[in-house]
Amino acid sequence: MTRPSDRSVLRRPIRRALPLALAIAMGLAGAAAVQADHHEGAVALKAAEQIAYRQSVMSIIGTHMGAIGDLMKHGLAVPGAIETHAKLMAESAALIAPAFRARVTEGATDAKPEIWTDWTKFQTEIAEYEEAANALASAAASGDPAKIGPAMKALGGSCGGCHKPFRKPKEESYKNK
Amino acid sequence: MSVGHHVRVDRRSGSHRAAILALALAFGLVLASGLALHASSARAQAPGSAPDAQAIERGRQVLYATGGCTCHTNYPGEGEAAPALAGGRGLETPFGVFYSTNLTPDRETGLGGWSQADFVRAMREGLSPDGQHYFPVFPYTAFSGLEDGDLRDLWAYLRSLPAVKRENRPPDAPFPFSWRATLAGWKWLNFTPLVFEPAPDRSEAWLRGRYLVNAAAHCGECHTPRTLTGGLDRSRWLAGSRDGPEGELAPNITPDAATGIGEWDAADLVWYLEMGLKPDGDDTQGLMSEVIEHGYANLPRADLEAIAEYLATVPAIGNRVRAAD
Ligand code: HEC
Ligand code: HEC
Repeated sequence: MTRPSDRSVLRRPIRRALPLALAIAMGLAGAAAVQADHHEGAVALKAAEQIAYRQSVMSIIGTHMGAIGDLMKHGLAVPGAIETHAKLMAESAALIAPAFRARVTEGATDAKPEIWTDWTKFQTEIAEYEEAANALASAAASGDPAKIGPAMKALGGSCGGCHKPFRKPKEESYKNK
Repeated sequence: MSVGHHVRVDRRSGSHRAAILALALAFGLVLASGLALHASSARAQAPGSAPDAQAIERGRQVLYATGGCTCHTNYPGEGEAAPALAGGRGLETPFGVFYSTNLTPDRETGLGGWSQADFVRAMREGLSPDGQHYFPVFPYTAFSGLEDGDLRDLWAYLRSLPAVKRENRPPDAPFPFSWRATLAGWKWLNFTPLVFEPAPDRSEAWLRGRYLVNAAAHCGECHTPRTLTGGLDRSRWLAGSRDGPEGELAPNITPDAATGIGEWDAADLVWYLEMGLKPDGDDTQGLMSEVIEHGYANLPRADLEAIAEYLATVPAIGNRVRAAD
């Protein structure tokens, strides 16, 4: 914005400056639009994708559990496999908080709103899960079946530790609608 | 009939509330006379002789086979610190909320004043020591099939529990469902003591599995859909129910491939009952996770394999259970 007193000074270069200013203004507007897209607009627009993503993170975790189950219940000998699955699960703990940080409660989701009213507890449950996954990795490394079974059970228990307070029960699940 | 007992199924149509009310009135008289009869039955007190340690230990196994009687421990209200088997847990049903009772040996509020015969009658006939009918939320429909020895051992185990003083709560259910007299009619419609038919060409494991699934573990009480009068729909045995206790949705566990657990093999089911983990790696929710943790998971592997062997042979029924809107 030019003030009246500046006019004489600015008159000459203004022609050249105008396109530049416009370009800058448009750039800013564009950036602002993108910003907005990340806030309110996006919540509506990207809610479904947010939900799909965090459910994918959970499915990855679940698939590792299923794979360990396949190995254990059928007595398959695949050297090192349980330990590797367990380590990958421990590592995937880092994906959970970022995946759930955006508060999206509407749509095809089983996430309870309590996640965002009790974020600290949610994070505690992530830590418990990570610890249980590491414990299974150590048990598997020891090769002692008497340790692996209980460690696997404890890891399963850590899923429930978070699902009980933060995931809707079956009778309310989007999957059973 | 795979369950192997006599079937008396009601298929009356119309409003079940009206039906029950009519029945309640019709059977009020029957109950009254029943009461008079039972009130006079002697209630001998089990004298000082403490049950032996082996019976208590066997009784603990029977308790595991029942799923740990977790309905009698108020985990939802009090967490893991809830006094074991002291009751007070609200169980939501389509007919109202019923509260489980105190099974500890407390004299005033629990089973301290009961004899073994009282206990056996409660489990087999759904009758209290003074002749009152129990609400069928207590699965005597299944427990009526328990063997004498198992009932004696379970009683020995219950006697060994620390006594907890906790008053039983009346149900929060509308009339006539809160009225025990209604139950005489309900029982007439829906209750036949469970008797297993001989099955000479089946394996020992299958027979054991049939006994566990239908009597002790009472899988059908949650997994079988109910009729209008709240009885188990025996034509759809284990085909899934959305009216499980606490309003829970219990899936179809018949061997139907599309809607049941036909895709699970025996190892999947044994693993599930031990770990509470499904073939896809997901964990278990609600009451099922409790009956596994406090019950089935503690059974010997052979019992879990027996359950799997039997379950694979029940009729496959297509029924996808959906949540009520
Ligand atoms: C810190 C909390 C937390 C932990 C730990 C956790 N989950 Fe989850 N899980 C959730 C929430 C919340 C949902 C519901 C997500 C939604 O529907 O938006 C969920 C959903 C799921 C789903 C369904 C995904 C879908 O497609 O709908 C599976 C499968 C699953 N979890 C498996 C597991 C397993 C297996 C473990 C343990 C090894 C585990 N989760 C540990 C919070 C957790
Ligand atoms: C107190 C009620 C109750 C009893 C008793 C019970 N179940 Fe369940 N069961 C449930 C509920 C509720 C679920 C749903 C839990 C879930 O999927 O997370 C379930 C889930 C299952 C599943 C998973 C099915 C699927 O498709 O995911 C199987 C298998 C199962 N039960 C078998 C049994 C067997 C076998 C018994 C008896 C030995 C039994 N249940 C006794 C309530 C019960």
